[in-house]
Amino acid sequence: MDVMDKQLSIRNRNLTKPAVYAGLIVILSLLPLLIKSPYWLHVFILIFIYIIATVSLRVITTSGQFPLAHAAFMGIGAYTSAVVSKELGWTPWLTIPLGALAAMVIGILIAYPFARLRAIYYAVVSLFFGIGVLQILFVFEKWTNAYGGLIGIPYLLGATKVPYYYFFLGLTSLCLLALYRFEFCRIGTNLKAIAQSYMVASSVGINEARYRVIAVAVGCFFVGLAGATYAHYNVVLSYTSFDMLATLWLVLYAIVGGMGSFAGPIIGTAVLMVVPELFRELKEFVPFLSAGILLVVVFLMPQGLVGLPQLVRSWIVRRRERKAITHAS
Amino acid sequence: MLLEIDGLTKHFGGLAAVSRLDMQVNKGEIVGLIGPNGAGKTTVFNLVTGFLQPTRGKVVFDGKNITGKKPHVIAELGIGRTFQLNPLFADFTVLKNVVASFHLRPKSSLLATYFNTATYRRNEAYILEQSREILQLVGLDTVSDELAKNLPHGYQKMLGMARALAIKPRLLLLDEPLAGMNPDEIDFSMAAIKKTRQQGMTIVLVEHNMQIMDLCDRVVVINFGHKIAEGLPGEVRRNEEVIRAYFGGEYVA
Amino acid sequence: MELAVISLVNTLVLASMYILVALGFALLFSIMGILNFAHGAVYMIGGYICYGFAVQLGINLWLSLLLAVLIVASFGLFLEKFCFRPFSGNFDRTIVVCIGVILILETTVNLLVGYNVWSIPEFASGIIRIGAIHLSAERLITFIIGGALLLIMVWVINGTRTGQQMQAVSQDPEGAALQGISIHRVSALACFTACGLAAVAGSLMGAYLSLTPFMGSQMLVKALQLVILGGLGSIGGIFFAGLVVGAIDATLPLFISGAASQAIAFGIIVVLLLFRPQGFFGRKSG
Repeated sequence: MDVMDKQLSIRNRNLTKPAVYAGLIVILSLLPLLIKSPYWLHVFILIFIYIIATVSLRVITTSGQFPLAHAAFMGIGAYTSAVVSKELGWTPWLTIPLGALAAMVIGILIAYPFARLRAIYYAVVSLFFGIGVLQILFVFEKWTNAYGGLIGIPYLLGATKVPYYYFFLGLTSLCLLALYRFEFCRIGTNLKAIAQSYMVASSVGINEARYRVIAVAVGCFFVGLAGATYAHYNVVLSYTSFDMLATLWLVLYAIVGGMGSFAGPIIGTAVLMVVPELFRELKEFVPFLSAGILLVVVFLMPQGLVGLPQLVRSWIVRRRERKAITHAS
Repeated sequence: MLLEIDGLTKHFGGLAAVSRLDMQVNKGEIVGLIGPNGAGKTTVFNLVTGFLQPTRGKVVFDGKNITGKKPHVIAELGIGRTFQLNPLFADFTVLKNVVASFHLRPKSSLLATYFNTATYRRNEAYILEQSREILQLVGLDTVSDELAKNLPHGYQKMLGMARALAIKPRLLLLDEPLAGMNPDEIDFSMAAIKKTRQQGMTIVLVEHNMQIMDLCDRVVVINFGHKIAEGLPGEVRRNEEVIRAYFGGEYVA
Repeated sequence: MELAVISLVNTLVLASMYILVALGFALLFSIMGILNFAHGAVYMIGGYICYGFAVQLGINLWLSLLLAVLIVASFGLFLEKFCFRPFSGNFDRTIVVCIGVILILETTVNLLVGYNVWSIPEFASGIIRIGAIHLSAERLITFIIGGALLLIMVWVINGTRTGQQMQAVSQDPEGAALQGISIHRVSALACFTACGLAAVAGSLMGAYLSLTPFMGSQMLVKALQLVILGGLGSIGGIFFAGLVVGAIDATLPLFISGAASQAIAFGIIVVLLLFRPQGFFGRKSG
């Protein structure tokens, strides 16, 4: 009977989860009917783009590597696509995949030599690589106009927000689906195995270097895609969107949401991007608000925001227990 | 001959951890590799399985020279191993530890895995069934849904062996399989090792616990990286150099 | 000739400042195992505090420097106790804390300063002539203070009991604890020193160049450059890397544009890292 119960509950869960996601997508698709403000549509579009970036960042971390160059790879995708479409006149529909591929190829090129490094060393060296790679923009100043900001990038879908909203809603859903499958098939299992013990993993025949490179390749491809589509949505690029601080923000979104689960970076990105917009009238005090969220999460929620429901539940249980004890006595 | 170690030498700095070691293992044997602490037993395992590169010497497995190959390549050729300090996939369940270790046989291509093809699903179903069988063999089937890190020490050791078996090895290297176990666990583990052996597995094991010598067909004794004796467990037990180097007076009785 | 001497002096000035900051960063890394991304912000706040005392309150410049260093070093103690120690060894959460600290410090400064560019008054004025060569006293004093502090640091780390304890903790924290070394005391001391050094550098650079709220992240990048080039955990490596990076920053802009010189510097470093990811002097991290 136990087994039956378990199987039933598993089947139930199998149905609930997709139902919740489908519901969420339906709500999100109806949103533009309610929200007419282009400003808020813009915020949502940015959230969609950054969700791809943070979730792809987390994919790399599941293999035990902590990349601190992720925004730079977003920049590689963005600038590749923007410059090629602007200078050669190619359609963005072609240059966007090109940008994603460029990010992936450069990711693979550095992943091999860096696959020797572990943990914090990898983090530092990749951080530095991120800073270094951005300097390429200044070398090709002629095309990138790095200091002034690259303008005149062709639009992907014209100048109104609504088409972009649906485009990015679809794109983000597809990317999340793709990355979800990646994590929860045997490839993702192998990555997690490597992260837990690279010695045991290689003793059972998992090629550590190869899988680490695969993780970086996939992560960089998706963040490159996010960057490239961003370029043709925003049509203006500034290198500050991809510098070290930008990378740290991506990391932050992911950690605050919770690195331990797939939903973590999604929630973290959404919360940390929406809250400052909600309190826009605070103006220059807004960073204090963000800092406050960061500190509350880091001190009180070791699992990140995704751990919040569990935290609340255990708190309620503890309270009830205490009540029961006082009643009894 | 399944494994042939020929003049194996490893220096750390100026120190020779293993020095000109020769050793053979035949198909179907259980060979014990024993010696006092720091004698170089674990280093030998690490050299054979590619976790360390030998300074000199040769390791031949099933007629193939595997000296200096990467650990995952050696695993693929059919050498499974456990570790002394027994690292685990700590956040996986017991069952998932074994399932994750089924990386080699059967093996699905990356694309088949990602796109969830019929072959991949068939492989995974087979792996699940095999993993359950292995867990039953080592007696962990009752705790298969526990997280590995929550298991008691002795169980974790057995899980290490289950994981090594999951690569369907032809040679199994067990590094101190009984260390830190209580008497019940020791009996159980010895039974499991015997069972594995009856299925035709060749085993080399490093151990301090003398009980295990009764399982071995042959024993190789090393001290300071040198082989000082080799023979049947009974012979070695009477060998004076071994007694002097290793057992000390109190163990002889 | 004059050009050569001037670039040499500039190299030494920049190098000593970079090394001061990087040394603190490396100290925190090797002793506490954390990457203190807030180190640049600490450096910046040091400069602004010194400015506040010297210009806004009109206190003697040297006294202001001393006060700034003490305040920032005490802030280091606070950081150690409340921001680093609770998460020791947890890389993710340390990053979050550091960014929280950066946000608070930078926003505070931004609110107080706005878009004004300030500069701390010169610690020494005038021009020193050696033969045909003219050098500003400001540069010399910056280098002298920086160099002297570095020598003291090298002596402290290699020649004193405290330094030996620091080295012991960085190599083997558990073993050091067993020998009765208080890891908390050593960590607190490291944090105190590291933040104090950063404040010195911030104040001197605030006089040598100028104060901006962004100077922190620029310096953080420099510190990272040094620490990575030198190899994490190697003090000799940091000094060498400091001279290399200082020379590049002081000399190349004389010949080519600033952007190109930065790109070349980073290009060299990235290529080096591809072949030697452990830096010039680092041990192989296996």
